Amino acid sequence: MKPYDNRAWFLVLPALVIVTLVGILPLIAVTNYSFQDLFSLNNPYWVGIDWYRNIVTSDRFYASLGRSFLFSAIVLSIQLPLGIWIALLLQRSHQFIVSTVLVLITVPLVVPWNMIPVIWLNFINPNAGLAGRMLAWLGVGFDYKFNALHTWIVLVVMDTWHWLGLVVVLAYAGISSIPPAYYQAAAIDAASPWQVFRFIQLPKMKTVLSMAVLLRFMDSFMIYIEAFRINAGGPDSATAFLSLDLGEEIQSFNYGPSAARSIIYFLIVLTVAWTFKAATSTRARAPIGMEPAR
Amino acid sequence: MKSSLGRTVLFVVIGAFVLVPLAQTIMTSFVSTLPRAGITEGHFSLVNYRNILNSPVLKQAILNSIIYVVLNVVLCLGVGFPAAYAFARYSFVGDRQLFFLLLVFRITPTVVLSLPIFVLFAQIGLENTPVGIALVHCVFNIPISIWILEGFIAPVPREFDETAFLDGHSLPSFFFRHLVPAVAPGIGVTAFFCFIFSWVEVVLARILTTTGGKPITMAINALFGFRTDFGLVMAMTVLALVPGIAMIYFVRNHLAKGFVIRT
Repeated sequence: MKPYDNRAWFLVLPALVIVTLVGILPLIAVTNYSFQDLFSLNNPYWVGIDWYRNIVTSDRFYASLGRSFLFSAIVLSIQLPLGIWIALLLQRSHQFIVSTVLVLITVPLVVPWNMIPVIWLNFINPNAGLAGRMLAWLGVGFDYKFNALHTWIVLVVMDTWHWLGLVVVLAYAGISSIPPAYYQAAAIDAASPWQVFRFIQLPKMKTVLSMAVLLRFMDSFMIYIEAFRINAGGPDSATAFLSLDLGEEIQSFNYGPSAARSIIYFLIVLTVAWTFKAATSTRARAPIGMEPAR
Repeated sequence: MKSSLGRTVLFVVIGAFVLVPLAQTIMTSFVSTLPRAGITEGHFSLVNYRNILNSPVLKQAILNSIIYVVLNVVLCLGVGFPAAYAFARYSFVGDRQLFFLLLVFRITPTVVLSLPIFVLFAQIGLENTPVGIALVHCVFNIPISIWILEGFIAPVPREFDETAFLDGHSLPSFFFRHLVPAVAPGIGVTAFFCFIFSWVEVVLARILTTTGGKPITMAINALFGFRTDFGLVMAMTVLALVPGIAMIYFVRNHLAKGFVIRT
């Protein structure tokens, strides 16, 4: 048990001051804007919940919400199993291979986000890009500009390229924290590889994996720059995600509506974070399969 | 034997998946993509890299990026370390609520906060400077640094602290003389994650640098125009990758060790 000492607040105070300045204060300001019509910041006009009503009664908002959920669902259902699988294979590999694969797979994480679509557009360009020319040569009529399915494929593949490394690193970190004794116990009990995975590796990876799910969910749910650059929400709004609508309003300096939209999105974030916290803490209290297979 | 072959094939496929799109970028950066006197279009050339060296704007952008990212990492480590120690060693009023608040700010999309941050920072004169970006990026990097550092500090036995205090060390002196060296890999991993998340962020960096102090990412954006020099864009992109890849190389053995995030 950790000792109870409120002097610890002095240690967290500097961090809290900065987070207040760049997180909490802007949030208060944006809440304030969201109830006003601000032609300029000096001429506020109270409009109450008008902006909120406009957003939550528009079909466009629900369509974007649906698309964002679908995108996150696809992204998670690909990246999570793939990341775990790669981490499991790494765990049985030589140290040198582990380092090499981890270094390689994390390289896309250091690419500035506005350059990711540039790299991919260059790659799938039908005239000059390696993938684009390959597809043309194979006779695939690939058209990411006007075919909605193709735009979606580009976005999903690009997002997987970008973020798979994070899932692998987190999953591998979880696996490598398992003491060898667990595997020895499983071997004595003649546990199958599936049982080892289900009852030893998965429970041990739980914390880091839930973190990976949370981070991947939020980042894909609010994908902005990458999606915007590929096709600006097109064709025909087929890839108009939540953030693109917000980005559009901020770009045109519609303070009131964009503030209301920011608050709605923040409430979604809050709900997700709270659900995540509730889910992880109840699971921690019910230690199903925490012990090695008997 | 069979499974190890399959594994190798899979790793090669992954490597190719990661590298091939990048390979095209690197190749493009070494050819002249606009008609120029004395250089054949599409042939190997260092002209793009030479153009960067001859451009004060692009060199300044690289410098701006380095300044803000270093400031951000120092700031996050500086305030994150004592906070992580507090979370690892003590319970206090509101500790779980504070942890939740940090979690929320880590996952809040930057686009949600961008408008008020722009207004706020314009009022206090922190726009168009690397210092402003360094501060703003703390909103997601301070939570990260506290999580990672806490994961490294928590396993250090409490006796370690107590011995140092008995020896007459004050808290700051204990931090610098004993705890920091003991969790050095953790500091490396934290610096790495703060570095990459700050280096790649563009929404806040863009809204804060509309007229000046542009980092490398925004300088690349500014290169797009009527007749875009794609070779130059790709050369800047390649340069933008170099520090990140160097960081990955330095922390490669610690990247996956002890990365335990408590929730």
